[in-house]
Amino acid sequence: MVFDLSPLIANLAWPFAIALAWVAGELGHRWIGLPRISVYGLVGFGLGHTQLGLLPSADSGTGMLLANVAFGLILFEFGYRINLRWLRTNPWIGATGVLESTATFVAVYAVAVGFGMPILASLLLASLAMSTSPAAIMRVVNEQRSSGQVTERVLHLTAVNCVLAVFAFKVIVGFWTFQTSGSVWQAVYNSLILLLVSAGLGAAFGLGVPALLRRFGRLTRDATVGFAIGVVLLVAIAHTFKFSPVLAALTFGLVARHRRVVLNQTQRNFGALGDLLTIVLFVFVATTIAWHRVWTGLGLALVLIVVRLVAKVFVVGALARVSGISWRKGVLTGLAMTPISVFVILLLEQARFLGIDLVDQLAPLAGATLLLELIGPVVTQRALILADESSEPAEG
Amino acid sequence: MPLEPFKASAPLTLGVELELQLVSLSNFDLIDASPDMLDLLNRRRFPGNVVPEITESMIEVSTDVQTDHAGLLGQLQQIRDALVAAGDRLNVGVCGGGTHPFQQWSERKIFSKPRFKEVSQLYGYLAKQFTIFGQHIHVGCTSGDDALFLLHSLSRFVPHFIALAASSPFVQGKDTLFNSARLNSVFAFPLSGRAPFTLDWSEFESAYFARMEQTGIVKSMKDFYWDIRPKPEYGTIELRVCDTPLTVERAAALAGYLQALCRCLLERSEAGPSEHDYLVYNYNRFQACRFGLDGTVVHPKTYETISLREDILATLRRLQGHAEATGGLAALEHLYKTAHEGSDATYLRQQYKERGSPEGMVDAAIARFREGRQG
Repeated sequence: MVFDLSPLIANLAWPFAIALAWVAGELGHRWIGLPRISVYGLVGFGLGHTQLGLLPSADSGTGMLLANVAFGLILFEFGYRINLRWLRTNPWIGATGVLESTATFVAVYAVAVGFGMPILASLLLASLAMSTSPAAIMRVVNEQRSSGQVTERVLHLTAVNCVLAVFAFKVIVGFWTFQTSGSVWQAVYNSLILLLVSAGLGAAFGLGVPALLRRFGRLTRDATVGFAIGVVLLVAIAHTFKFSPVLAALTFGLVARHRRVVLNQTQRNFGALGDLLTIVLFVFVATTIAWHRVWTGLGLALVLIVVRLVAKVFVVGALARVSGISWRKGVLTGLAMTPISVFVILLLEQARFLGIDLVDQLAPLAGATLLLELIGPVVTQRALILADESSEPAEG
Repeated sequence: MPLEPFKASAPLTLGVELELQLVSLSNFDLIDASPDMLDLLNRRRFPGNVVPEITESMIEVSTDVQTDHAGLLGQLQQIRDALVAAGDRLNVGVCGGGTHPFQQWSERKIFSKPRFKEVSQLYGYLAKQFTIFGQHIHVGCTSGDDALFLLHSLSRFVPHFIALAASSPFVQGKDTLFNSARLNSVFAFPLSGRAPFTLDWSEFESAYFARMEQTGIVKSMKDFYWDIRPKPEYGTIELRVCDTPLTVERAAALAGYLQALCRCLLERSEAGPSEHDYLVYNYNRFQACRFGLDGTVVHPKTYETISLREDILATLRRLQGHAEATGGLAALEHLYKTAHEGSDATYLRQQYKERGSPEGMVDAAIARFREGRQG
């Protein structure tokens, strides 16, 4: 009699994958100084259902929810570190963000159309390419314990380009919906209303949670747990009602920051909880990438990566002096903005929830994402080290 | 290298150095921003001088030589405005305060400069714990003998300056119950404390410094971390016990007070300094650090116990005539208010209570540095 092993594998697959990713991440970081998240991505991709097939297909709602929670925690912390007042006191920061996003959009769109992609797909691709992955940036910055202008600027420029990317993406999806369904209401709902409701939800949490924490007294530990629970709840609500968990969590962090309850350095990454969920997130996201799609789109992907990088480095570098830093730090800031990925994948997955399967249309993106998922954090890490902003002592 | 000869300065001229905190406006922790700040500040002529300090989250500014309180205050305000403008462009908050209330010393980065790296090698974690922020006031002296006379005569007034400038109540996130916790970090260094007693510069030079140099322990005056030390190459004595106040206005007022006080002491109308004065020195110093203006000190000559606040107020009244002569009346007025309303340490504790977090304290310190309001 032959045992059916598949239920066994299904039960054990995730715990094993996470353990494997963790061990590989630690070793990779210690031996060759790779950012841990690059290694997690590599493990996830390798074990994905279209590759080794150990991990089940990523369509499951639970995996998606868990990834969104992990991403939400990182985005909350990211939002918490953004100082909106800086955009006012130094207008060049905002200007740099808008210009580099626009340049990236135009450049990527032109290349995609040039390679014969349909216009709508090209537009979507261009809008997604604008964004830098806040998760990758946040993780690398914390892993390197870096601080300085490159660090600050990468964080703020990423915030600007992500907001623009989400906005552009939703507007284009709105058009798409209108074209395919002909319903104006559905188009508007899929774009603007979704954005507004998500941001409103995040803002409500940003006001409510600090107020609640204040009532409890001012124990630092409470603040971390309180915010974590807030994020989990917020993401679950957004997920269930198909709002944007990404935008909601980001707004939560931004608003909470201005309520200023203690969230100090010991709670970086939400401590052990954040570290654990990060492994889940980066492994999960990489399992959604299928090798055959990567292969199909690889040529265009490489061109896109280069064009995107040139656009970012050029604009950020050119505006470096006038915005108050050296040319060198400007170029390094542009380089540090290389990572893409988690963000994009989650947006795509969400679009799928709305009944639009963009993943197949955007094959080059899968390729670019995989490459940048692995290489992007390394580039960011090297840029921070070259800028002399990393405090992580060289291990070896 | 023997000690350089004492360069004669115009008497009672002033110079101020301030060590300031560089704070991230994103999370209010210290930020390693001094290389970026210096890079930006060096693009334009700086009103005064700006240099790096041992860790990258500190910056040190200094004024030119000034003759009176008004000139000093004017330049300090220009310096402040330049720093604030640069900070705004880089998302860096600049503020005073003797300690950062919640920074972790282990997170600090030593500024890349040979001397700093050497100090860090020698002192280990003490160097990183030395991320503390002080105000140094230089007073010009006509001769080495005058300098030593002033240095030792001032020992009795050191608690005044500690209490009036105190702005370091918190360390590593906790209330220390001290008003100036910063000085405890200075005391950890083997060559801190007071200068040896002598009133004769040539004796100080040959009998003390030359011998210390022979022992190999010190190479220059820089290796002494005394509360007051002579600075022969400038022709000054340097008072180093003040925490950096939260405003440049208070920093200038402290310098104005010191100037009037030195003028008074140089009249030599009271009993001169002696080694015995130092019997009560460490105790008085502790009282000022721990309790601030509410401390009690023992008079070194009469052994009478007096409230530090009363002693300061009495001294301020006594100096009116000298302050008129040096142009320091506004400075005394400022400190008179301070003695009544409480030091910056008191203000910071209040902010902690109101805002509920050490981050809130830093935010308040940044705002106060910018506004520079009086009182």
